[in-house]
Amino acid sequence: MSLSALAGLSLLILGESHLAATGSLIEALHDDLVKQGAQVHSIGACGAGAQDWLAKKKVDCGGDRVGKGKAVIRGADATTFPIGELIAADKPDVVVVIIGDTMAAYDKSAFPKTWAWQSVTALTRAISATRTRCVWVGPPWGKAGGRYNKNDERVRLMSTFLATNVAPCDYVDSLKFSKPGEWKTTDGQHFTVAGYKAWGAAITQALANTPAVKEAHAK
Amino acid sequence: MKRALIAALATSLPTLAPHAAGIPLYPTGPAEDSAFVRFVNATDAALEIQAAGSQAKLSLPTDKPSSGFMPVAANKPVKGTLTGADRRSDVAVTVKPGEFATVIALAKNASLVIKESPDDFNAMRASLAFYNADPACRQAGLRAAGRNVGIFDGVGHGQAKRRLINPVAVTVELTCGGKPQGSPRELGALEAGQRYTVLAVPGPQGTRTLFANDALIR
Repeated sequence: MSLSALAGLSLLILGESHLAATGSLIEALHDDLVKQGAQVHSIGACGAGAQDWLAKKKVDCGGDRVGKGKAVIRGADATTFPIGELIAADKPDVVVVIIGDTMAAYDKSAFPKTWAWQSVTALTRAISATRTRCVWVGPPWGKAGGRYNKNDERVRLMSTFLATNVAPCDYVDSLKFSKPGEWKTTDGQHFTVAGYKAWGAAITQALANTPAVKEAHAK
Repeated sequence: MKRALIAALATSLPTLAPHAAGIPLYPTGPAEDSAFVRFVNATDAALEIQAAGSQAKLSLPTDKPSSGFMPVAANKPVKGTLTGADRRSDVAVTVKPGEFATVIALAKNASLVIKESPDDFNAMRASLAFYNADPACRQAGLRAAGRNVGIFDGVGHGQAKRRLINPVAVTVELTCGGKPQGSPRELGALEAGQRYTVLAVPGPQGTRTLFANDALIR
């Protein structure tokens, strides 16, 4: 499947800090998708988990970018937005969710699976209630340790959990895109510009091959 | 009213407190896992549950005997009072992180708490649990009606078992000590990603079943 499936599609991308800083996916992924002819709206909110997109919530930093415009990077005035309102405003063909690191509890001995299930299903049900197709992009490998105590075992567990719990959204497994530690990070979790470019290119390719994008393209 | 009851029960849910620096350091999850409680009326009369220290009430009529699962603070007692035409009984339950507790109101002011710590979350299959809340039903089981295919077996009083099944229409038959008990119960078409419970509870004609959707009250 070529990347042409993305041409003409309207994509609403929401996620965590990986979409909230200059040089992150709000530039790398967003630019890739725009190059393929997609109409893209990207929103990032630092630290936001899935359930935080059900209502407006203040976060410490964020980013917002529409089409070929420049990313607006925000600090303390950044917020999430209710997914229902975003979908009603943008009317996207596909919603792309990039959330995983904010829900993996890297610094806790136990993975809070009940909380994660509660949060993930709240968002997927809110999206599916609008009959909008969706794709969930899981967390990538980082470098063990760092500020967030990201570690390979928990990343794998988080990804496996998401793979079985995001339906009816399609799942994109970012762990297939690199090896642990392959993409350089600044803090164990957030990548350098080169890392985000590699991740963004891999997501673009994977998105074009998802059932959600193929169905939206064929419509 | 449900929201008021939830607020009364959830006295101190985990909070997240990010720090600031660079991309500000943010928490990657809660301090502890979520915990939930629900109430099931297994008597033959309507009941209400009222949270302690609150006027919030939740009705449990006999034709809709189960509440949804309500989020509560883990490791803190959840207290309330069950009231009915000829009933008034206090209940208290403490739920661990990751646990789902079901308070089952029984006849004669009795109640039973059955807890689960599920690990089977799956959006592509249905999850079905079987609780045995009737001491008269020994080694309770559940099987697909008319096909003699076992779904659960050997469930003791106060115990629970859960498993993933395909999201299809299911009719089940209760067994006690391996023998069929009562009429088959149609569960309808189970949906992928949804969670359900069949409860074996005491009844005037012997053990009977209740069926609950394990949905969360969000």
